[in-house]
Amino acid sequence: MSMPFRVHGTPRRNILQAGALAISGLSLGNYLRLAAAGEVRPQATARAAIFINLRGGPSHLDTFDPKPDAADVRGEFEAIPTALPGVHFSEHLPKLARCADQFALLRGVTHSLAAHELGTAYVNTGNRPLPSLEFPGYGAVAAKELTAPRDLPPFVAIPNTAQRAGYLGIRYAPLSTTQAPIVGRPFQVRGVSLQEGVAVSDVERRTQLLSKLDRTFQELEGGNSLIDGLDEFSRQALSVITSPRTQRAFDISREPQAFAAPFGKTPFGGSCLLALRLVEAGVPFVTVTHDGWDTHNDNFEALRTRLLPPFDEGLSALLGGLAARGLLETTAVFVTGEFGRTPRINSQRSGRDHFPRCMFMLLAGGGVRPGQVLGESDATASGPLHEGYSPDDVAATFFHLLGIDHRQEYQTNTGRPVMIVRDGEVIRPLLA
Amino acid sequence: MRMRMRSSSFVQIACLVLSVAGPFVASSRGAESDEIVPPANGRFADPATQETPDFQRHVVPLMGRVGCNGRSCHGSFQGQSGFRLSLFGYDFGLDHKGLQQRIDSKSPLKSLALLKPSHAVDHEGGQPLPPGTWEHTLFRRWIESGAPPRPAGAAGFLKLEVLPASIRMSREGEQVPLQVIAHWDDGTKEDVTCLSRFQANDPAIAAVSEEGVVMAGDPGDTHVIAFYDNGVAATPVLRPYSDLADDRYPQLVARTRIDELVQDKLRLLGEVPSEVCTDEEFLRRVSLDIAGTLPRPQEVREFVADARPDKRSRKIDELLETPAYAAKWTTFLCDITGNSDAQLNNATAERARASREWYDWIFQRVQANVPYDALMEGVILAVSRQPGETYLDYCERQAAMAGSEPASKYADEPGLTYFWGRGNFQRPEDRAIGFAYTFMGIRLQCAQCHKHPFDEWTQQDFKQFQAFFDRVRFNRLSPVAAAGRGPADVADRREMLAELGLAERLMGNDRRVLADAARDGKLVPASELAVLPPAAANPRRPANRGNPRRPQNRVARLLRDAEPIQLDAFDDPRQPIMDWLRDPETRLFSRAIVNRIWAQYFHRGIVEPTDDLSLANPGSNEPLLDDLARRFIENGYDLKWLHREIAGSDAYQRSWRPNETNRLDDQNFARAVPRRLPAEVLLDAIRTATAGSDERAGLHENLRGRMTTYPGTPQGRQPVAYGLTVFGRSIRSKNCDCDRSPDPSLLQTLYLRNDVDVFAQIDRRDGWLDEVAGTLRPRARQAQAERDRASGPRPQAPPAVRLARLQQALQTARRQGREEQAAQLQQRIRKVREEIANPPPPRPRNADEPFAGAAPRRPDLPPIRIETETARNIIDEAYLRTLGRLPDDEERAAAVEALSGTDGLAGVRDLLWALLNTKEFIVNH
Repeated sequence: MSMPFRVHGTPRRNILQAGALAISGLSLGNYLRLAAAGEVRPQATARAAIFINLRGGPSHLDTFDPKPDAADVRGEFEAIPTALPGVHFSEHLPKLARCADQFALLRGVTHSLAAHELGTAYVNTGNRPLPSLEFPGYGAVAAKELTAPRDLPPFVAIPNTAQRAGYLGIRYAPLSTTQAPIVGRPFQVRGVSLQEGVAVSDVERRTQLLSKLDRTFQELEGGNSLIDGLDEFSRQALSVITSPRTQRAFDISREPQAFAAPFGKTPFGGSCLLALRLVEAGVPFVTVTHDGWDTHNDNFEALRTRLLPPFDEGLSALLGGLAARGLLETTAVFVTGEFGRTPRINSQRSGRDHFPRCMFMLLAGGGVRPGQVLGESDATASGPLHEGYSPDDVAATFFHLLGIDHRQEYQTNTGRPVMIVRDGEVIRPLLA
Repeated sequence: MRMRMRSSSFVQIACLVLSVAGPFVASSRGAESDEIVPPANGRFADPATQETPDFQRHVVPLMGRVGCNGRSCHGSFQGQSGFRLSLFGYDFGLDHKGLQQRIDSKSPLKSLALLKPSHAVDHEGGQPLPPGTWEHTLFRRWIESGAPPRPAGAAGFLKLEVLPASIRMSREGEQVPLQVIAHWDDGTKEDVTCLSRFQANDPAIAAVSEEGVVMAGDPGDTHVIAFYDNGVAATPVLRPYSDLADDRYPQLVARTRIDELVQDKLRLLGEVPSEVCTDEEFLRRVSLDIAGTLPRPQEVREFVADARPDKRSRKIDELLETPAYAAKWTTFLCDITGNSDAQLNNATAERARASREWYDWIFQRVQANVPYDALMEGVILAVSRQPGETYLDYCERQAAMAGSEPASKYADEPGLTYFWGRGNFQRPEDRAIGFAYTFMGIRLQCAQCHKHPFDEWTQQDFKQFQAFFDRVRFNRLSPVAAAGRGPADVADRREMLAELGLAERLMGNDRRVLADAARDGKLVPASELAVLPPAAANPRRPANRGNPRRPQNRVARLLRDAEPIQLDAFDDPRQPIMDWLRDPETRLFSRAIVNRIWAQYFHRGIVEPTDDLSLANPGSNEPLLDDLARRFIENGYDLKWLHREIAGSDAYQRSWRPNETNRLDDQNFARAVPRRLPAEVLLDAIRTATAGSDERAGLHENLRGRMTTYPGTPQGRQPVAYGLTVFGRSIRSKNCDCDRSPDPSLLQTLYLRNDVDVFAQIDRRDGWLDEVAGTLRPRARQAQAERDRASGPRPQAPPAVRLARLQQALQTARRQGREEQAAQLQQRIRKVREEIANPPPPRPRNADEPFAGAAPRRPDLPPIRIETETARNIIDEAYLRTLGRLPDDEERAAAVEALSGTDGLAGVRDLLWALLNTKEFIVNH
């Protein structure tokens, strides 16, 4: 029978059944159905992504956008040639310079949020933060839109991330490892790895007892989304905990020495290796956080000794490793801080301060055309030379690689319709 | 056929024009007439009509109805194809100007504004106004008549009336047309059904067509909403669940006023409430809800055995006197007031001090049961300095609250200044939104940029409301010199900083220097909250940028309140808002808090979501909310009264087991609906359930290490952050009750099944499992005790345990006639009581505290078999401490089997793990 009526309004039945559980359009029931059905994204060039966040705001001048001829701002480092003719990086990124043909670099990316919190929220969501709305991080959107194998968490943060589930709701939140692994050492992830001395048979024995005791709400099954959700997550948790593939993926000590060594024995290197293993196992979205780039004091000393060597080593090993395993083509890698740093050097503290008007971003794999530099900063790296790219544009492009239309609208938990990225345009030249 | 219809309506319309001309041409204001102008779809059905439609009454609503000003069309802030209308209407100036540019005054019929929507010229938005329809005619007539704007001094919109006032359906597919009548303040009324928009809040129960015809679906109750001009009117639609409705409803006792009102609604729905729950269910539920604590095993046994008929209300009273009650509800109030470390950066020189003091300030008042209005007055009217105080004096006073032995405490200050210091609460517009959220439970943010789509707020309302806040200043680690002593204050601050070797302008590392100095109790500049005098008001973001004149005599207006207020007449412009909130007529203040507290006891509020008390979102039982809110005021805003009233009702004490009449309904409180425990309560419950008996005994009173005393928002690297975040503790940053999540997730289940935190709790030293091991292996236990003795004196038992012990000793002493000892005991009891009444303020727990000290594994000891009788006792105890009940036969058999292996202790561990992982454990039911 056709409805004689055009009808307004969101069907709220599911929401009401879910009680306080549900939010408009994203009720738990819908989620469970979607998760069961899976989704195919033929238009995607990437099936997974690794987002690397350099927290604190890395200096663009002392990394990927050196200005050796600008005496006032050039700083202490020399510029070295790279695999790309005419393109120079800082002398402390020799490995990345050698593999510059494996990624695309954006220079002169620009925005106006100079506070860590706001800038970080911006580059982790692709939306300028609003006081009244928490945007979901890239990973939360990916967890919602992409299909993950049942025995793997869809969104893993190493060791943690600024990306939250925001208005999408807590079930798209990341699994945080809370620690960074070190190459060559065994690694345990809370909630996922089995404790020392515990065998899968122990888990199964306990779970069997649990299923005998957990009968109280049988009467409500099928009619209460909290009860059904708990049952569903219970089954999924068991498959995560008992899956040999999952246990192996998290334990980076299983990686052959020859493959693992180039990542370096640093937390960042270990994080990159873990990210690679997780993507290889089938996790669709992984974030790696590399902290400490807020170099108000002793900028050059900190970069030279503490920050750049592990970054250079870890990221180049990640790109090389992904390529060696045949994963680079289908894995989008996105590296960014929350802003750049002032061209002018603060003379008393030998530091650089927050500078959102000019920064770099780096993308690779997953359908990005490698070996190019897009955008350009002015002579002193104080702003884009022409019209610069915005974090929103890069975000739109990042989602595009994953086959997610950034203009797609979600309903927030207050019923407000919002696009995934509100102000971005896909940067076509970035695409292969 | 068609001709005949046309001609008959022509006659009709000819008559109408006469009656219509009156109200629009010349009307005397205020004269209420009974005459209702018939609908426009009739009047404009004839293309030859000579009536001139009104811009506000007809043209704008028509554009809203056919979708011109929707957000995907010309209502978009970017406009559409160069033409922009105000989103959802109500900016008559902007809308008229936009249209005017698309009107050809010489040949009106060639106006783009008409050609586009009638599709004579290509129009991306389709053909919303096909020629020949009444809509087209209306629009054309307006253009032909010179496209008059809304006249100055036009009658104002008064209210929207929808008939029938409520709808009762009896079968699926039944249809009822709505009639919508607009009332204007010149006394005219018009049937505007054809110009209204309609929305069904639950189309599965009642759908509504664009023409306003309601069609019944499933049984249940919902609202259909009509929108016209600034009016929003909700019509309840109801279809009973069973044939037991009304006269056939069974005779039931309504024990309380709440139950009467709940039952009134259930009677209409033919819905019979579930049974009252068992004593075990009640005790667990109410202990978790009031105090966030699981009942003690002994408490469960005693409560079940207690034969007094009023034992449930006694238990409620008892729980309301525990510090755990104060802690749990302080957490709740910290949620809605937004106590967040992330928003309080540099509000104090010392890190995290502001969030802790915020918590303590509220805790002290909740514990003393300060009336809700007085408590919130302390928040709303807070200022930093005492009258006449210099900035230096003020900073000295603040410094005295820091250090290891503070001379005074922030909780004794009259106002919660930090509320105004939040990073997301600085601009007047952010304050308007945040203020409306916290104290009124409404979502004003929509109206910041456009007319509220679900309520009557307009942008104009928003602007007038935000004007209350632009004289209030919170300066971080600085004085509000313009409100104080001016240059002298600035000099005070400069000297303080100079003393610490710092320049006036603080840079990166200086914060650390200040933080260290503050921690050592040294004098540092404090943040100040103050109200600028009217003359000094210089709004940071003046509305009329570029206009050099300062706004003088700023006028503000309270929402829904017609009287404008001259703000310059008030030393503190927040005072008239406070007075307004306190006025019982305002309703929002009491309704918001009553509804929110109700929602803590059920799976939803009476209005849901609890922060959206808009006209388009009526409660499932408005009389109930009204009545509770009214009596809450009559009872002096007494929060404990409200808790007693709610928890004491049968509605709260229903079983979660549905019956055939109420299975499909979960919004009318006919049964309990399981809810996942809030983050803090759940983590505390895991700790409590695994605690050894000594620790366990005092958990209503002893707040040490409890998550409900965690003051602010957990920061990334703190160990406690993980569990709290996974279980959705409120992020307290977006002015939304959805900042806290009650949803389940995979991560939560992974946490409970397999996280180190949970195993550390199960295996901890002096935990219950360790204790059981000790009883099973007395010698090992003894050795442990000796080690403990060697390592220092035992910590004092919690006050409640000491109280119980003393009371027992007192009874014995009295029985044996030892008067002197009894008197001594009485004195000690008084002291302990005092200690319980005034516990030391809770402290955030040491980050590593609860998870340290896992019981050492003892692989050296041989596995031990447990006798069946012992096993039964252990199983009972495990059930009581986790689920607050004894196992049934089947469960006991499964548990006995688990404990019957060669390693009985491993079986106990499995059992405890399994119980913590049941759905029954993590939900309140």
